[in-house]
Amino acid sequence: MADVQLADVKKTYPGGFTAIHGVSFAVPDGGFCVLVGPSGCGKSTLLRMIAGLETISAGDIRIGERLVNQLEPTERDIAMVFQNYALYPHMSVYDNMAYGLRNLKTPKHEIESRVGEAAQILELDTALLSRKPRQLSGGQRQRVAMGRAIVRKPKVFLFDEPLSNLDAKLRVQMRIEIRRLQRRLQTTTIYVTHDQVEAMTLADMLVVLNAGRTEQIGAPLELYERPATLFVAGFLGSPPMNFLKGMLESPNTVRLDDGTAIACEAGYAAVQRGTRVVAGVRPERALVGPASEGLVMKIDLIEELGVGRLLHGQLAGAPMTVAIGPDQQLPGGEAIGIVIPADAVHLFDAESRKRL
Amino acid sequence: MIENRRFGNLSAHLVLIVGVVIVAFPVYLAVIASTHSADTIANGQLSLLPGGEFVENYRRALFIGTSRTTRALVATMLFNSFVMAMAIALGKIAISLLSAFAIVYFRFPFRKVAFWAIFLTLMVPVEVRIYPTYAIAANLNLLDTYTGLALPLIASATATLLFRQFFMTVPEELTEAAQIDAAGPMRFFRDILLPLSRTNLAALFVILFIYGWNQYLWPLLITTRDDMTTIVIGIKKIVATHDALTEWQLAMATAVLAMLPPVAVVIFMQKLFVKGLIETEK
Repeated sequence: MADVQLADVKKTYPGGFTAIHGVSFAVPDGGFCVLVGPSGCGKSTLLRMIAGLETISAGDIRIGERLVNQLEPTERDIAMVFQNYALYPHMSVYDNMAYGLRNLKTPKHEIESRVGEAAQILELDTALLSRKPRQLSGGQRQRVAMGRAIVRKPKVFLFDEPLSNLDAKLRVQMRIEIRRLQRRLQTTTIYVTHDQVEAMTLADMLVVLNAGRTEQIGAPLELYERPATLFVAGFLGSPPMNFLKGMLESPNTVRLDDGTAIACEAGYAAVQRGTRVVAGVRPERALVGPASEGLVMKIDLIEELGVGRLLHGQLAGAPMTVAIGPDQQLPGGEAIGIVIPADAVHLFDAESRKRL
Repeated sequence: MIENRRFGNLSAHLVLIVGVVIVAFPVYLAVIASTHSADTIANGQLSLLPGGEFVENYRRALFIGTSRTTRALVATMLFNSFVMAMAIALGKIAISLLSAFAIVYFRFPFRKVAFWAIFLTLMVPVEVRIYPTYAIAANLNLLDTYTGLALPLIASATATLLFRQFFMTVPEELTEAAQIDAAGPMRFFRDILLPLSRTNLAALFVILFIYGWNQYLWPLLITTRDDMTTIVIGIKKIVATHDALTEWQLAMATAVLAMLPPVAVVIFMQKLFVKGLIETEK
């Protein structure tokens, strides 16, 4: 058990390309930290630096107070689950799990009991232990890969997009299993994904990365409810937040670019009037009514999800998506009225792209 | 190939059969000739059916020798050839595996130079460097030794390149997983890379064994003693005679015997070949 601390970690490749521009965060002991961001944001690079597979250009990485910058992956006491599982194809499932332990000169009976224990935790049938990885299904391979990590009893689990190769149904199932497993083992975990649903559901602590920089760090709900930047606001949540451009007319009014006004919570007194702003509204927070009420939204597409419906259209000259419940009736006609509650409006500075 | 399928099949078979006959007939003739007596062959009355001298001819070739021509037994020559071919095949595989491993998995100074140096030797076959190679072998007292037969032929750019290509297709994650699993470089090589290369090794072994077995020019230069003669040279010696009739039945028996080990290697290794084709593991 150990915490993981990153202090101003940087990665510059020999060619001069900087992948990570000084990232700092700390994962508490037993915490589940998810690094999330779009492709190429540096999240995998960062994970590989923690694992020791990638050198650190600047900054410190500590695992349980021990500086690991110069340590080999083995000496860092971590275990990693790879996206494509990286199981040794010529070894049986048992050998795959036992290989690392054997290399560490673990006594044979100890290996046996640990592999058996891991198989039990992961509900891997003992008959599977003698099979080769290619005889397993995707989900089973995933489990074996996790088993290989568990038997090491490492201080830290590192997951590199472990669910991306699974189909949608299995992904949801494995997501839950990973979370249960982590709760049960109480091992500090760092998990990389580009999928914001995975990120939201798994994390105790979410680190949103963009172009090698941290955008925001915090609990998932905190980030969802108070995104610090436009990027975080747009990245978390599905369907994503709607953005309406305008300017701050008074501490509690935003004049949108088409001339309509929306109210926001008072509290922007310190912000200069006339500042260009972006008002963010979550699709599920906008209220739908007849066209005579509120702002007019022209609908051009309705997506039926079963659990509800998504209305896509235009509002104040910007694309807008509104989510409504399955029972909610739509007023007739192509245009509907949208009422945006003042507390549903997130205001961002259009220039700095930061929350106001 | 949908229309005229019957005609297409027929002509395809015909072409294949003609090809097989062209390739197989000389071999058949050699086998037949090795079962007749010297007189029958000398008369020019060789029938296409086996004769009755099979046991006698092979016994003489293997264990008695053709006293008038070569003074070595075919058994000795087979042994020499076998040692040489095995040494060349295994040596080439060992050297090229290790050099490919170094080139692909290690970042050392002049790595690119080393790679290109190996690559360039592709353009310099034994025949081109034969005089300096001979001089070196002679100065090292390697004439008429097994080491001398095999060593100069062991360095192989082709096999190195082949393994390099193969190693580059091994997913990087496997290397990283092994790194995390506390496997050092040599352990990774032994536990992961070698088993994964198994089918490649088998294929290469077959090719290199036959390459080694069929060496002619180098053994001709480096060996002068009769007991170091390889079988390919031996056939030549039996055929080329002075002041005596060539004992064709023995020459043919020797040729047939010379063919057997490569054939055996191919047949034995074929299983691994096919396995390698079916299994797509990595």
